[in-house]
Formats: sequence, C-alpha cells, structure tokens
Amino acid sequence: MKSVIASLLVFFAGWSHAAAQEDKPLRPVTSAYTLEAGGASIVNTYLTPLKYSGMNLGLRYERMQAMKQNPDRLVMRLVAGLSGSRTENPVKNAEMWRIKGDFSWGMTYRWRLPYNVTVGAGGSTSLNLGALYAPRNGNNPVAVEAAWTVNATAYAAWNVKVWGLPVTLRYQPTLPLTGIFFSPDYGELFYEIYLGNDKGLVHGAWWGNYFSLDNLLTADFHFGSTCLRIGYHGEILSTKVNHITTRTVTNSVVVGVSGEWLSFNPYKGLSREARVISALY
Amino acid sequence: MNAIRHIVIIIAMILVAGCHPVESWDNNPEGNFEALWTILDEHYCFFKEKGVDWNDVHDRYAAKVSNKMTQQELFDVCADMLNELRDGHTNLIASFNTSYYRKWWSDYPQNYSARLIEEHYLNFNYRTVGGIDYAILPENIGYMRYGSFANPIGEGNLDHILAYFNVCAGLIIDVRDNGGGMLTNVETIVRRFITERMLAGYISHKTGPGHDAFSTPYAYYYDPAEKGRIMWGKPVVVLASRGTFSAANNFVSVMKSIPGVKIVGAVTGGGSGMPYNSEIPNGWGVRFSACSMLDPEGVSTENGVEPSEGCAMDMDPQQALEGHDTILDFAISLLAS
Repeated sequence: MKSVIASLLVFFAGWSHAAAQEDKPLRPVTSAYTLEAGGASIVNTYLTPLKYSGMNLGLRYERMQAMKQNPDRLVMRLVAGLSGSRTENPVKNAEMWRIKGDFSWGMTYRWRLPYNVTVGAGGSTSLNLGALYAPRNGNNPVAVEAAWTVNATAYAAWNVKVWGLPVTLRYQPTLPLTGIFFSPDYGELFYEIYLGNDKGLVHGAWWGNYFSLDNLLTADFHFGSTCLRIGYHGEILSTKVNHITTRTVTNSVVVGVSGEWLSFNPYKGLSREARVISALY
Repeated sequence: MNAIRHIVIIIAMILVAGCHPVESWDNNPEGNFEALWTILDEHYCFFKEKGVDWNDVHDRYAAKVSNKMTQQELFDVCADMLNELRDGHTNLIASFNTSYYRKWWSDYPQNYSARLIEEHYLNFNYRTVGGIDYAILPENIGYMRYGSFANPIGEGNLDHILAYFNVCAGLIIDVRDNGGGMLTNVETIVRRFITERMLAGYISHKTGPGHDAFSTPYAYYYDPAEKGRIMWGKPVVVLASRGTFSAANNFVSVMKSIPGVKIVGAVTGGGSGMPYNSEIPNGWGVRFSACSMLDPEGVSTENGVEPSEGCAMDMDPQQALEGHDTILDFAISLLAS
C-alpha cells in the first residue's frame, strides 16, 4: 500500500521543503472512473405490463477519502453515475429506453481487522433522476424516475496478493431505508400534470413501496500508482405505489481505472514522516 | 445462533417487502385475450357512462377464444370485443391490421365537403399556414378551416391570420371532420378569443383498477394570449359535425362557453377520453380512453357537444349538389345579421 503512495510522494518530492511540517496524516483520495456494461430487465406497469429486457451501459465516478475529523475510522464516499438501457418487449416488436443519473454522498465507520481486512458501515444519501421512454405509447410515453433516499451502506475490503500483485477486493451494498420518490397517479397522464395538477406526486419511501439494493463487487489490481478495476455492479429497484409497479434490475460488468491521489500546497511541502491513511487500500 | 437467525429474518423481511409482483399472461390466444380484457378492465374510463357490463363482455367473447385459433381469428374476436365500448379512441394495433370503431361517425351525415367549399366559396383561392386554410368570404366574413389539431399552429401564424381578418365583420372557424390532435393547439387558438382567464374544463383520471375509482375532476384554465398578440373580439361561429372528434370536440366545448361564439352544425363526435397505450404479450398494442375530459360545466362530452340553441342542422344534400353548403350559409347569415 505504502509503495503506491510512495511513488506519488517521489513525484512531489521536488517541492518538499526542508522545513518540517507538523505531522498531519496524509489522506489521499481514492478515485475510480469505470465503465459498466451488462443487461437490464424493466417492468413499469404505467407504460406496459410486459417485461422488457436488453442491454445496459453506464459511466461511474467514485471518490473515497479518509475524513479529517477521524481519519482512521471515518471514510467519506461520493459516487456519481450516468447509465442508459435499451430494452425490448418479449416478442421484440417494441423498445423501451431508460436513462438514469445518480449522485450519492455518504460516510462509513470502519474497523481494521486481521489479515488486511477492513469492514465499514454507515449511511449515505442519494439523488436519482431518470426516465423510461416507450416510443410506441402516445399520451403515456414516459415514466419519470426521481427519488431522494437515505441509505444504509457497508463494505468489506481485503488487501491481498495474487501472484505477487497487490489486489484489493471489495464488496459494497447500499440499501435505501427511507426517502421520497415521484410517481403519477394510476391513470394520470403527464398532460394533467402539465395543466397544473401536482397533487399526490411525491411519496414517502419505505421498503413496502420502494425497495432498492445496489451491490458493488470490485477487484483493484495495483500497477504502481494506478489500478485496474474490474468487478460487478448490480442494481435492483422495485416500487409499488398508486397500483403502479416498477421493477428494474441491471447486472453489469465493471471495468475502469482507480488510484490514489494527493493534492497539497507546494509552498508548504510535505513531511516524509507524515502518516498516510488510505480510504480503501 | 440467535444473531444468524435475526439476520436471516431481516433479509427475508427485506426480500418480501421488496418483492412487488406483476401480473403476467401466457403468450397464446387465451393469455392474450385475458391480458387485453384485464388491461381494459383496469384502465378504461367510460364503462359506467356507456353502460357496458365488461364482465358480461368477457364471458361472451372468452367463449370464442381457443389456443388453436390463428392470430387473424384472435384479432377479429378481440377487435369485436373492443367495439363493444363504442369508442373511437379504442384500437387494437397488430402488424397486419388496426381495429377501429367507425360507427361513431359512419352512422351520421357527413355534413362537410372540402371540395364544395373550395370550389364554390373560396374559388380555389385561399391562404394556408400551419395547417389552417383561410380566406375572406364575399360577405366580408373571415373563414378559417382547421383540418386537424395534429398540425402545429404557431402564435405568429395566428397573428398573420387574425391581422388579415382585421377588416372582417365576423369569423367562421370550420372544424367539421377535424379528427383531433394536440390539446395544446386547442389552447393556442382559444387564447385569442378570451380577455380574461377562463375555466376551460375539468380532467379526471383513474386512481385504481376499480370501475368507479376516479380522481376528483381537476379544473384547468386558459389565459388570454400574451400582450402584443392579435386578439379577436368580434362575433365567431364554429362549424361542427359528427366528424369533429377528440381535441376538436374539446375545442368546440371550450369555444361554446365563450360569449359571442355560436356553434353551428351537428352534434360533435365526442372522444373526450384521453387515450392511453398499453400492450399484450404477443406484442399487439392497445389504445383506449383513460382520462375523462369534462366541459367547463363539468359535463362529459364523450357523446358529443350540442350546437348552440337554434343552430343545429345537417347539410342539405340537394343544395350541396347545387354548390351550397347550407351549414356555412347559415353561419354567414348569422354573422351578417
């Protein structure tokens, strides 16, 4: 782990002043840019009672950093993603598109366990905005997906060597506990909303009407200061409100790059003795 | 052990809570028939108004369906079942045919001939913009014919038309045989004829699968066109026929409530249910009325809008042969007087 950071420190050594700085721990940012590709299965009874299935593509940015207040224990995580799906009905004569953007920010409290295992648990809050589009539908071609949720999240990470190569394995589930989400009434057309009827569009979320589970499984293969990330990302969203049922499942392979980055003021320099507290590795 | 049991119970609770079942049907004739019947049963909005016993319809038509029948045979049975709704907004859409209930207009006089007007009233000399044909009649009355509310009409187009009619004593808006289109076009035009915010009507949607599950009708309003637009304050006659349907039917119901506007012709064709789309397992689409639009008095116009008092009439076919559109003639005399 420290060798990874060391390579970054060497890069910045030119700016290190002889003057010793106070030994504040260094908290590198773990960033990952990933591409996701896989399958999607969608049912939305506002648009159609049939199950559509097809492909899903997405881009995702993840940022983790040990927090200033208690860097050994607290880790913050920010995720922003954009995904799109193209699906077809069972007889493949109609298509449905889905586009979704999501943003979440959360904190986890972690424990370092023996054998280079770290586990963490905490909470996050997410904003999800998206839409389903069924071109064959005239007055009801779109179903809007919008939700703000408060989530429970946890992770388990294991730093291990595979044939001498450092690898970080991680599993991170996120489960919304409550929040609010958008849904039109059973037979309400968006034209009526356009006319101004905004009653009953926002609903309190609980597991009975809004269930979502995000599963992320990654393996980061360390090559110097940069990692190759491969993994699996699965999302389940199931809602039932106003007699409208939605069920969306995506299963995707994840490929991308990740790494740890430090930013600092070159005029203040860095202390070589400073402790490095990684968010993930 | 207790901890494991608790975790298992919690996971089971999560999965049960998160499992929202969706009704599904087999992709065979019986499954598709049941899917179609159920979609209509749960979403169609005019069962009560039309006195349709949908359970009875199911029993009569289910008996005609078997898994041995062809797609064409199934289509015919399903189309006949949908025709029981007597609704011009209800269609079954397959790759080889689209069902359509035509009796809402075919059983009534046509009351409109485009050729007759173009030849004998406009002398094939008229302007066209945004789907509207317009000209000034010899009696110094403006005539505009809007054939479909599906044709977008811009504010600038309306400015040009109304400016052209500035010298006219009255205006005739002909929406006979206008099969509807976009309701936003209704609003665009109506806004030129009002001087203050007006109640345009109500809309009500299904709140659940039950036949009586409807929302409280929501009132919606139209505002006058913004300042600087050309408005019309002189008398107006709207020509309507049975072929005036859907958005055009809505246009007539709104215009009828504006002072100084007369509706001349026949009862319109209705079609006040806003259509909703769905599909059945074999991929056939289905379209049907799902949201009821009511007139400014809160009355359904699914069965059409009556002409203004003393203005109901059919076109005289004999006179038509001699080049007279008696409905248009009546409108001209009304405005000229």
